[in-house]
Amino acid sequence: MISVTDLGIKFKMDKRRRSGALSFLLERSRNQQRPSGEFWALRHVSFTVDRGETVGIIGRNGSGKSTLLRVIAGVYPPDEGKVSVDGEVSTLFSLGTGFNPELSGRDNIYLNGVLMGLTKRKIDGIIDAIIEFAELGDFIEMPVRTYSSGMRARLGFAIAMHSDKDIVLIDEIMGAGDAAFRQKADAEMSRIMGERTVILVSHSMATIENFASKVIWLDRGIIAAMGEPGEVIEQYLAASKVKKRPLEEEY
Amino acid sequence: MPIIEQLKNVWQRREVLYYIVKLQMKAENKNKVLGFVWSFLDPLLLALTYIILVHYIFGRGGPQFPILLFAALLSWRWFTSSLSRSVTCVTSKVGLIQSVRFPLAILPLSGIIIGFFDWLFGFVILVPMLFIWEASFTVNILWLPVLLLIQVIGTIGACLIVAVWGTYLADLSNIITFAIRIAFYLSPIIWAVEETLPERLTTLYMLGNPFAGLLESYKNVLVLGAPPNEYALVGTAVGCVAFLVGLWYFSRNEYKLVKSI
Repeated sequence: MISVTDLGIKFKMDKRRRSGALSFLLERSRNQQRPSGEFWALRHVSFTVDRGETVGIIGRNGSGKSTLLRVIAGVYPPDEGKVSVDGEVSTLFSLGTGFNPELSGRDNIYLNGVLMGLTKRKIDGIIDAIIEFAELGDFIEMPVRTYSSGMRARLGFAIAMHSDKDIVLIDEIMGAGDAAFRQKADAEMSRIMGERTVILVSHSMATIENFASKVIWLDRGIIAAMGEPGEVIEQYLAASKVKKRPLEEEY
Repeated sequence: MPIIEQLKNVWQRREVLYYIVKLQMKAENKNKVLGFVWSFLDPLLLALTYIILVHYIFGRGGPQFPILLFAALLSWRWFTSSLSRSVTCVTSKVGLIQSVRFPLAILPLSGIIIGFFDWLFGFVILVPMLFIWEASFTVNILWLPVLLLIQVIGTIGACLIVAVWGTYLADLSNIITFAIRIAFYLSPIIWAVEETLPERLTTLYMLGNPFAGLLESYKNVLVLGAPPNEYALVGTAVGCVAFLVGLWYFSRNEYKLVKSI
């Protein structure tokens, strides 16, 4: 279903790239070189995901988890290696960052649905279920900027779940929301497991252990371990404790 | 061909374009008391400012000045608002761009389409004004869609280029705002080429400002009942080149943009 072979994603190191036009010209005229260099957010990443499988991705902040989801969503093309995705991917909404804050929840559902490639008729058919699932009530007509982070996450999760896409990408969305919603989200996850392919990024080891049939541990853009959830999580937790100091000294 | 590919991609996702335009317009009007009435008031008040200044205070521009101005101003405003929107069209949609794959050219295009709706609202105001100030209606009015087409082609090209630059250069929007203001006075909007420029400079000027021929043409076909100004061909040529270069340049940079935001 998803096959990733020797994937590499490269970013330019220059974090000041959004600088002024004037300084850009000045530097150019003085022949100054900006600090250049590349940084591999992901490198030599290879794995496959079968149809109906739920794969968990774990790793520290900045280890390339979100980048990997974006590659699968087609946002970043690989700089190296090959990615083939057989099936339609739902939009990746990490805590509802893709929403337009000025628009109502309802309008955002339409916008995101269309971006995912759903037709208007299809969205008309699922919108009530989405609103009900997200438990937004009358808030659905309010601009998303008035939503709490939990409400946004619920809406994002509800859209991803109802879109009927073959592949669902979930980035830290499970952690948001209150206990009651989390329970519902868990139930929904269990329902679609086996039916649809899910890639799940989470810092909650309980969530990962509950749902994933395979876990990928990313460490600074490289797969540190992959396999049985129990084993990989154990290794990851052990490494986080032991390696914490030396890791930080490198910066 | 990356250019053809780009056009095809946008066409395939036209529904996305439709929703972005529709919802953006909705969002822009939502928080205003007068809402959609501003779409009519905006051009009217803008034109009124210049009409009072040039027509009544300086006493220039001739009896038909209000409609000559309005005819040129509407199209100028369409072009410049499209440019301004394009500067920030990528950086204002970071969350969306990083969430789902779609042709990014849709972002500058949506700004141009919204600008065209503003043009239409302004046109609704212009039509009764054309009657009040007794514009000459001739068959030349049929040139209007052609002029709009030339303008949209050139605008797409310019906006695609500006959308790329605006992503990298944080102060491009200040520069563009200033450039637009200067260009406004350098273009025949509140003045007319024939009345203002010495004849020996006309050719040079019209070749140097590709928008000038187009602006004079709008006045010709809408107000004077004359055929388009021949220098509109300069705008056509520049517009077509900008269109092709813009599409090519944008296609080349699209993925770099995604990674740099």
